[in-house]
Amino acid sequence: MVQPDPPRKRTVTWIAITVLLLASLVGMLWVPFYARETPKLGDFPFFYWYQLIWVPIVAVLSWLAYLLIGRGRPAAPGTAATAATAHTSEGSGEEK
Amino acid sequence: MSHVNAVSFTILVALFVVVALTGFAAARWRRTESLLHLNEWGLGGRGFGTFVSWFLLGGDLYTAYTFIAVPALIYGVGAAGFFAVPYTVIVFPIVFVFAPRLWSVSRVHNYVTPADFVRGRYGSRGLALAVACTGILATMPYIALQLVGIQAVLTVMGVGGTTNSFLRDLPLLIAFVVLAAYTYMSGLRAPALTAFIKDLLIYVTVIVAVIYIPTRLGGWGHIFTAAGKHLATTNPKTGKPFGGLITPPAGEWAYATLALGSALALFMYPHAVTGVLAAKRRDVIRRNMALLPAYSLMLGLVALLGYMALAAPAVTRAVKAGGGNAQLSVPLLFEHIFPSWFAGIGYSAIVIGALVPAAIMSIAAANLFTRNIYKEFFKPDASPAHETRVARFVSLIVKGGALIFALTLSKTFSINLQLLGGIWILQTFPAIVAGLYTRWFHRWALLLGWAAAMAYGTIQAYRVPIPGQANSHFGGSTAPVLGHIVYIAIAAFIINLVIAVVLTLVFRAFRLPAGADETQPGHYTADPETGPPAPAPATAGVPTT
Repeated sequence: MVQPDPPRKRTVTWIAITVLLLASLVGMLWVPFYARETPKLGDFPFFYWYQLIWVPIVAVLSWLAYLLIGRGRPAAPGTAATAATAHTSEGSGEEK
Repeated sequence: MSHVNAVSFTILVALFVVVALTGFAAARWRRTESLLHLNEWGLGGRGFGTFVSWFLLGGDLYTAYTFIAVPALIYGVGAAGFFAVPYTVIVFPIVFVFAPRLWSVSRVHNYVTPADFVRGRYGSRGLALAVACTGILATMPYIALQLVGIQAVLTVMGVGGTTNSFLRDLPLLIAFVVLAAYTYMSGLRAPALTAFIKDLLIYVTVIVAVIYIPTRLGGWGHIFTAAGKHLATTNPKTGKPFGGLITPPAGEWAYATLALGSALALFMYPHAVTGVLAAKRRDVIRRNMALLPAYSLMLGLVALLGYMALAAPAVTRAVKAGGGNAQLSVPLLFEHIFPSWFAGIGYSAIVIGALVPAAIMSIAAANLFTRNIYKEFFKPDASPAHETRVARFVSLIVKGGALIFALTLSKTFSINLQLLGGIWILQTFPAIVAGLYTRWFHRWALLLGWAAAMAYGTIQAYRVPIPGQANSHFGGSTAPVLGHIVYIAIAAFIINLVIAVVLTLVFRAFRLPAGADETQPGHYTADPETGPPAPAPATAGVPTT
């Protein structure tokens, strides 16, 4: 039943999430950085593989943010049951 | 292109019939109460979990835009069209932040549309009306884009003679009527269920296409080289090269603003909001934002079909013969590279991939009209059943409006239909997203900012000529602003914000009435299904373990 101090943990969580999500904005909108042909990856010019590789990166970053929020979520009274069900449903979601 | 391939055609018709029957049968799927209620018809009972939501949102967001418009732009201008990849990369982090708040407040207050929220938050019928009208207006060119996609496939298949204009458009009209009929009957359940079929077809087609086609065209290296050569040749219409494999420095602002503007705009569209609100639980949305990028990867690979088309001489010849219509490039690529049975599957993927989102879009626009215009201004005492009947009828009207956009606007690059919708819909962003966090903005300031931005955006878009045609209009979505070419939506958005901030300061100084706010801070984080009521988690915990 003992929960870690929520307000401070929440702030740290949100800073982490902001950094994760801002990274994708900077990485994608700073066009001069990637508007070039080299280094090539296989036959793909840098311009193309750099942008495509951001797709899995942003998926991983978002998943991390999702996990952080899931843990930082203020728990309702009767927490043990809530936490347990939340955890099992998350697990099954991952498997699908 | 003159004779119809019997195999491809049969496969397309068969798959179309399967989708239509599924659409009609969807009315019975997971039904809880009468279908004559907007929660049911318009939001599928608000009960979709991660799995169905993923398909529904994917069905929403990956459309003929992905399969026809983006590859056509890449085919026509090269790297500049690849902005769709950064667009779909950054959209999910942006939505990740605010969509759960919109879901929560909408669940607490039973909001069905974004305009419902604006009405409740600012106590302003005028601002809600502005949001509703913008949503309906912006959705029409987006649906029109779907029709252009279907038309491209039918043209390549040679369905319908070119002699008689009624016969030529007949297959499109048949597809359209069937779509309208099953949407009318089943509401949001139809696209949610048919989205499974759509995605299966699309994934199969895309995976086969990106593996098989390069082997037939001499590998990726040859594809990039051949495409680069093509793009470097001079476009007779403009006297400049068509484009290049890398965005030139002059195009960087346009590239970044198109990506950012499209990303900010996407979840302002009523159909995207519908997809979010139909989720069962709050965390379904965030989880999906981490899962949806799987579609973005596909979009990036599909975009490169434009280069494959440039590298296939038979395709470039056929596009020229078809009047230089770049929208034909992907269907033509399928026709020339695939055996006819698999071309049939590819065609079906595009056609069904356009029909599913068109259904969701028309439902969302119909919800807006019914809730925020009809009920608000004409018949406040309408019963839920009456509301749903109106919404069903309006879903037909919206599709009619889309048909007009499809037939009248320039089709040089169909992506401009979506970008035009983006210019409009982005102007509802300050009212909706700022409203999720703060009541600082004054409702009239938001309304005036919206009005100025809509006027500016529309006039700027009107003034863009079609390349190579003087005195033509709505030919593009970028314009020079302060020495840089930018997406008009972003320029209008900045005007919108500046006016809203300045006038809010003025109106607050004069203490003009701020309007009633029916929401409370806790409503934005509420999670009614799993949420605060203490006994609920305990009872819910028993059957799962």
